[in-house]
Amino acid sequence: MKWTFSWKWAVLALSIAALVSVGCAKKQTVKSEGAETPPAASAPPMGETTMKEAPPPMAVPPPPPSTAAPGVAVTEEKISRFDDVRFDFDKSEVREDGRKTCGIVADYLKSHPQAKMLIEGHCDERGTAEYNMALGERRATSVMTYLVSLGVPRSALSTVSFGKEKPLDPGHNEAAWAKNRRAHFVLQ
Amino acid sequence: MKRSIGAAAVAFLLALSLFPSPAFPLLYIDINAPGGKRMPIAVADVVVAPGDPSLSRGIPKILSDDLVLTDLFDLIPPTAHMETVTAEHFSGKPLSFPGWKMIGAEAVVIGKVEVRGDRLSLEMRLYDATQGTLLLGKRYTGTPGQLRSIVHRFANEIVYTFTGVRGVFGTEIAFTARSGKSRGKELYLVGMDGKDLRKVTDNRSFNLFPRWSPDGQWLAYTSFRTGMPVVYLRNVATGAEKEVLRFGGSKAPGGFSPDGVWLYAGVSHAGNSDIYRVRVVGGASERVVDGWGLEVSPSPSPDGRRIAFVSDRGGSPQIYVKTIGVPGETRISAGGSYATSPSWSPTGDRIAYTLRAGGRFIVATVAPDGSGYREVASAPDGDCEDPSFAPDGRSLVYTYRKRGYSALIIISTDGRRQRTLVSGLEDVGSPAWSPGR
Repeated sequence: MKWTFSWKWAVLALSIAALVSVGCAKKQTVKSEGAETPPAASAPPMGETTMKEAPPPMAVPPPPPSTAAPGVAVTEEKISRFDDVRFDFDKSEVREDGRKTCGIVADYLKSHPQAKMLIEGHCDERGTAEYNMALGERRATSVMTYLVSLGVPRSALSTVSFGKEKPLDPGHNEAAWAKNRRAHFVLQ
Repeated sequence: MKRSIGAAAVAFLLALSLFPSPAFPLLYIDINAPGGKRMPIAVADVVVAPGDPSLSRGIPKILSDDLVLTDLFDLIPPTAHMETVTAEHFSGKPLSFPGWKMIGAEAVVIGKVEVRGDRLSLEMRLYDATQGTLLLGKRYTGTPGQLRSIVHRFANEIVYTFTGVRGVFGTEIAFTARSGKSRGKELYLVGMDGKDLRKVTDNRSFNLFPRWSPDGQWLAYTSFRTGMPVVYLRNVATGAEKEVLRFGGSKAPGGFSPDGVWLYAGVSHAGNSDIYRVRVVGGASERVVDGWGLEVSPSPSPDGRRIAFVSDRGGSPQIYVKTIGVPGETRISAGGSYATSPSWSPTGDRIAYTLRAGGRFIVATVAPDGSGYREVASAPDGDCEDPSFAPDGRSLVYTYRKRGYSALIIISTDGRRQRTLVSGLEDVGSPAWSPGR
């Protein structure tokens, strides 16, 4: 079979390309809402002609990503005046040792009505990040619920989970993991 | 307007009937045949007229590297080539096919490139050397900076020609890694060939759980840059962002519906995580899975009708499948005390997940009805986690971790071939393979 360029093929390719581009415009369901620049602004589109089939629209290679607004820098963990509440693997129940710590935190908050306490939930490095993120939230909430049961107003408390992202001890053994499965108190 | 589209469609159909699709190629690679024979292919030096002479070998190198990755081809080394391809071979002069056959080639690729200023045009042809027929011819235009992605596209066409399944060259993997002294986590991108590694976010906070929109233009991810977790959509090309999910406590996007309308995510309320979906435009949300336990990591099926997700309602995290809008959920993981991070194959027939077995994490796949369990990746001295399928469903990327070391590995779904994609970064994880290009 001999390959020669002919107008028939050019017309075919053009008409297919036109159809493809119409179809694509319709399919773009993820739409921008903010002040965004169109993706193709900086790079001219690629062309392609073919003797066999229509090309899908070319994805333009991205320019270097712009820097997002400067965020909150992650600092080392703030030293808390209160001990961490520790947890068993894949568990969120407050243990006996944790109840003692919670009692101290509750006494403090009841005697300082203006104080606000953020409870951070953390996990060890094992397991999937998403699951650990939810587990950390459950740990923090479990501590919050216990503090409320001790008479701390709910409005003085808030929670955030860092999952397994902020280990206290960077080790990879049971001793480190036990320290990292924790609820951490941050006075605000 | 409607009328003109209709007319174009008629023209299109006419064109199709005038030029029927070519006959089934005589050369064909059965990708399902275990240990099948590789196809010997020669990629000739590319004719450069005009342009940087190093392109003559540079372009075949990009193409050959791609083809080698498939494990479907044997590349015949350029030193064995006997015929010098010239511009005349693109204007009627036939190749000397007996010569190519003599060195063992069953297929031959030739190319011609022109670079004028910032315009590049590349013509590539694939011949069946045994029959002397043209199997595929493409002409591309773009900028010199787009050369790699143009060659990846032609490599995808070659794979499609021989297997009927489009290749995945030019696709990318998004993932997270620790960055610098900040101890934060940033999003990164890397080409599926391990090249073009780059940082996407740079805000020294925690940026987690990247997930691709079906058109490959957006990444949904959770960022802590305001101090609290918010899910953003980020345009990969421009860096433009918008908030898409702010309610609830902890939150992690799981995946988009195939039409791109919905983003599925696990969201905590009062410590209890459920599966929600949020309209990408407009932001309206609805709860899809409600349960007493932790429900996280929704992965939509390619037809959009079902999701796989994680729930610990039975006492330990396990994988369940649910049909959207229909009551009831079916557990599909079995035998382990901990099963998480499901990834539904783009081909629809398998779900990969992380399983804790014998004190280690391994990657396994299973059919959506829970049958046909298969172990894919495991290591005696480390953990294999977080699988994400390639768009062709033939391989997946996962995280390998051993004490302080971590890497991203690509493995064929039959577990036979694997290669390291990324190593040397700290605490890599959450790989997500982009849609096809």
